[in-house]
Amino acid sequence: MTAPAVPQDLGATTVPVRDGWDPAVERRTRASQSFWTAVVGVPAIFSVLRLGVEAGGELQTTLLLVANVGPVNLLAGFLTTAARLLSTSLVAVFALGAVLRVSVERMPPTVRRPLFVRWADLTPAWFVLSSFLLALVTWQLLYLPLLLPAFVAAFQLTPARLHEHPVPRTLIVVTLLAGYGWLLAPTLLDAWQQRELLALVLFVAPPLLALAVTGPLPGAVIRPLASVTEAAVLAMLVWAALPVITTPVLPLTVTTVESSPGVTEDVRGHVVTVDDVNMVLLQERGGVRYVPVDDVRAQVLCPSEEELPRHRLRIRDYHVEDSLLEGLGRRVRPVHRTDAACRTPR
Amino acid sequence: MNDTSARHRVRSVTTTLAVALTLTLAAAAGCENRREPSLPSVRDKLRESHIDGQAKIKIGVATTEPLMGELRNGKHSGFDVEIARYVASYLGYEGDQRIEWVSVTTEDRIPALQGGVVDLVVSSFSITEEREKLVSFAGPYFVTTQEVMVPTRLRDKIRTIEDLREPAYKVCTSGGSTTEAELAKHDVKVLVVKEVGDCVKGIREGRYDAVSSDETILAGFLSLYPTEFEIVDMPFGTSELLGIGVPIGDPALRDLVAFALQKSYLQGRNGISSPWITAYTRSLAPYLKAEKAQPQPLNVPALVDFDDKAPTR
Repeated sequence: MTAPAVPQDLGATTVPVRDGWDPAVERRTRASQSFWTAVVGVPAIFSVLRLGVEAGGELQTTLLLVANVGPVNLLAGFLTTAARLLSTSLVAVFALGAVLRVSVERMPPTVRRPLFVRWADLTPAWFVLSSFLLALVTWQLLYLPLLLPAFVAAFQLTPARLHEHPVPRTLIVVTLLAGYGWLLAPTLLDAWQQRELLALVLFVAPPLLALAVTGPLPGAVIRPLASVTEAAVLAMLVWAALPVITTPVLPLTVTTVESSPGVTEDVRGHVVTVDDVNMVLLQERGGVRYVPVDDVRAQVLCPSEEELPRHRLRIRDYHVEDSLLEGLGRRVRPVHRTDAACRTPR
Repeated sequence: MNDTSARHRVRSVTTTLAVALTLTLAAAAGCENRREPSLPSVRDKLRESHIDGQAKIKIGVATTEPLMGELRNGKHSGFDVEIARYVASYLGYEGDQRIEWVSVTTEDRIPALQGGVVDLVVSSFSITEEREKLVSFAGPYFVTTQEVMVPTRLRDKIRTIEDLREPAYKVCTSGGSTTEAELAKHDVKVLVVKEVGDCVKGIREGRYDAVSSDETILAGFLSLYPTEFEIVDMPFGTSELLGIGVPIGDPALRDLVAFALQKSYLQGRNGISSPWITAYTRSLAPYLKAEKAQPQPLNVPALVDFDDKAPTR
């Protein structure tokens, strides 16, 4: 699939076709390659980078982790923590791509199509839909309403698609909005009482915006919008990637160790591996510790500080910071108590 | 024609606005996600409190009050002790190996908190305005009333507060208690001793004729000598709100204890068994006349904790 070596063509579409070589095909191939490289490569690179961060930047510790964390575990661990970031990036690209595409189509054919439009062009519909589904189950409920205008924009679903006559169309829209309002009414009241204004706007505004977000943009807006959003999505990727890189690969535990009779000590850290002789702990405050298996008295799984909720809002008993998947999970295993040992100071 | 183009223009301006607003909202959501949380967490409060980093928590309890706080065969038991164990485990001190039990008498409770001998006092400690100037309280975790207990030989003679005023009867109570002040208010002459247990012992030896204290404490002694005593219901008119005493200089610890009590209160209210209900049924329930429930703790701070996301129903 290597592309023939040709001079770079920036912008114009006036290059003559020679020897069956089509610049449009060439461009599409290149865009396709860059897209799939990003989709597959970014997670792979992140996974490896994370190990280095997890090891506290120490070469020997990184090597210890590399030796003990299998590639499948690493990728699975990465996907659980990064699915949100991944789906957000994809949703942003497809929604912006579709908005720009419908605008560019009104422009003269000489105008170069923005990057996101080219990416959106060559992505199969099933992939776009899967990205939205991934977002639906992994986004926090607080941000989930934003998926609505994004979805409407990505598939350019104008309200006219609901019904051809304006009256039934209005009725359908009003019914849908009323249902949405009924679902969220107690939460909106809570948000108002707790003065969580951003949460309030995040719940109310997106469905209304979804009604107006379709359709072409004026020509003057397209170019700045394309460049600004490309930069913004890239910035978001870098900015949001930092917490993903620093999220631990291994689960956090507190291990009670009795090194001499009657003297116990709690070690906060991640279990790297256990063999017949030692339990290898990567301590939360740094450094690796080899604890003889016979000295281990107890071990509990603990939540990390990043998991602390920031809001006290619920939608029909689902916490707004849970995704649909997490919320459902909590209903399958509802009893959860933070173990006392987890409060042990670091 | 003009009309159509005008409509097109309005339409594209609306779309532009909607797209711009959606992007702004998304950006705001992204920023909000990375901002420092506005609500303090249980862990933040723990770091602020003076117990942070301590290997053991020192809790002042009574050792001579059956059902409430008792030391039997080297093991502490009773309602107060169970509540203390629950609060300690909520603060990260699970199990008796992480708790240093300090025996405190009624009058020692405030000095022990002030002097740093204990981190908490869970010992039938009534919340009063005067005491709140010296120590902080989290709670109430129990509401009780003041009662009088008399030996069975006097059960027909001492029935009212009026009877208590008769100089022939020697009424006994523990020093530094709310009962002492309440009896003084009713002009009842009392003999003050160190512990309620001393009064009970004195009555059995014939030195006193009646003992007054919280219903919970008296119920404890009644459980020890069910045939020798009787509790007389007298209209003292005040209810005692029992709270957990915390040093006045540590508001973070007070908040944490109040939050722990609130957690138990909510569990009990939702029909799930709570630590409070367990402690109550294991100690006081069989000996009290009326069924009790956990009172709602006052001044509970808004804190977030790891288990906040768990379903409430």
